[in-house]
Amino acid sequence: MQLTTPARRSALRARLSTAACVLLAAATPAVGHADDTTPTTQLELSSLLYGENQRTTIFEPAVRATRLFSNGQSVSAEIQVDAMTGASPSGAVATNQVQTTTSASGTTQSVQAGVLPTSYFQDVRGSLDADWSLPVGSLFTATSSVHVSKEKDYRSLGGSESFSLDLFQRLVTITAAASFNHDQVTPVGGTAIGLSDGTTMLNFRSNPKRVSSGMLGISRILTRRWMMGVSGTREIEKGYLTEPYKVVSVFSPINTPGEDAPPGTGSTTTLREKRPDLRTRISGSLSSVYHLSDDILYSSYRYYWDDWGVRSHTLDFKVRHDLPNHAFVQPHVRLYAQTAADFFRFELFQGDPLPAFASSDERLGPLRTATVGATYGFRIPNAPGDWAVRGEYIRQWGNGHPDYAPSVQRDINLFPGVNTGTLLVTYSIGF
Amino acid sequence: MIGISRSLYVALLLAVLVGLTSGCAAMAVKPWDRDLLAQKKMRFNPSPREAAIDEHVYFSKEASTGGQHVGGGGCGCN
Repeated sequence: MQLTTPARRSALRARLSTAACVLLAAATPAVGHADDTTPTTQLELSSLLYGENQRTTIFEPAVRATRLFSNGQSVSAEIQVDAMTGASPSGAVATNQVQTTTSASGTTQSVQAGVLPTSYFQDVRGSLDADWSLPVGSLFTATSSVHVSKEKDYRSLGGSESFSLDLFQRLVTITAAASFNHDQVTPVGGTAIGLSDGTTMLNFRSNPKRVSSGMLGISRILTRRWMMGVSGTREIEKGYLTEPYKVVSVFSPINTPGEDAPPGTGSTTTLREKRPDLRTRISGSLSSVYHLSDDILYSSYRYYWDDWGVRSHTLDFKVRHDLPNHAFVQPHVRLYAQTAADFFRFELFQGDPLPAFASSDERLGPLRTATVGATYGFRIPNAPGDWAVRGEYIRQWGNGHPDYAPSVQRDINLFPGVNTGTLLVTYSIGF
Repeated sequence: MIGISRSLYVALLLAVLVGLTSGCAAMAVKPWDRDLLAQKKMRFNPSPREAAIDEHVYFSKEASTGGQHVGGGGCGCN
């Protein structure tokens, strides 16, 4: 007596086949998956070209090698180089007069009236990262990481440890992690006293900066098509947190003696910025991956706050659409908004009491960022490996007309927007 | 108004946390129903290299950091 129809039996067979595949996939390391063959070595090469309009240009090549072992362990190492050159805002405010700035290397630049003063810089940063991932049993994984990087005036040395545990038939994954960084800031020409004119140095040695952070996260499979995760991080920074070359303008309503400027134009001098030596950052994040009928929607939201007074929201969306021959296209939109730090000022005023801390770094200001871009992934016929090319446009802006700006600066945008373009090319191959 | 009440935010996160951990037995997605989820592209972070680059770029341009990861390299860029 036949209890099931042939169609039902076929569906059952398909489901059992899928189950067998998934169970086999579950036993493979994280970098291997059901839709991949499982290579023992994986090589990733990437190259980033980053360019801000009339400011900084960065070329960042990197190579990462990962070795997988039969017991599920994996070891990876990455080398990265950042070659940076261009101009960075000095912190001084734009005025209706020509300004002259001096960079850390002694180069002087004259800035036209109404233009934000910038300082020329050039640096190369090299970094080395290594990870070791060790599964313990079938549900628990420990990952250890170390990092070292060096640039002209900054050195970073750190490590992290993370643990993840799968629960409830792998429906839920709990992740906990901690990291510690011991960094050294060694400003070129010495460390200036904060809120001084920069002629007197605090020291000529390295200034320590210690960063410790912890993370707790949980993710869950909600349906056959949907995964969701929530995580939170807390980070404490202690030590020298000031940007050593940034300045803050001090506006005086009195013209510089001997200068040929209309009456009432005023004048500006600069002081070195100064930030607190302690910062606690907390952020919480929600992430979702949803498989639509054909495409995949990745979305995330982050809320961040710190004890410097910065609050921010970040929204991120990507949609992956597969094309024939292992190609795909993935549009990306990211929106970001932050409030200013408590001690952020576009400028100070002559005669006012000097605050305990002050910075005109626009990254601590009332900032907005919008990013749009897309990735195109493809394989070259009859050639191994996967390629991906991503182009993005990033626009940053803020309110550059604060209420406290003096009348001679009312028509000047103190926070002109920044336009940035990035091009990222990645290639990965397993063998 | 960009800031939200800290206690409200923590309460929302806890609600999501409870939601993610409760009802596991009742809502279980069986192994043979995880064909889509087993694909590499269904990870939260299918391209860690790209994510690390983005984290570095935005760390150098904004005041915020963190949320999903800890560690990584210190940098004089911010």
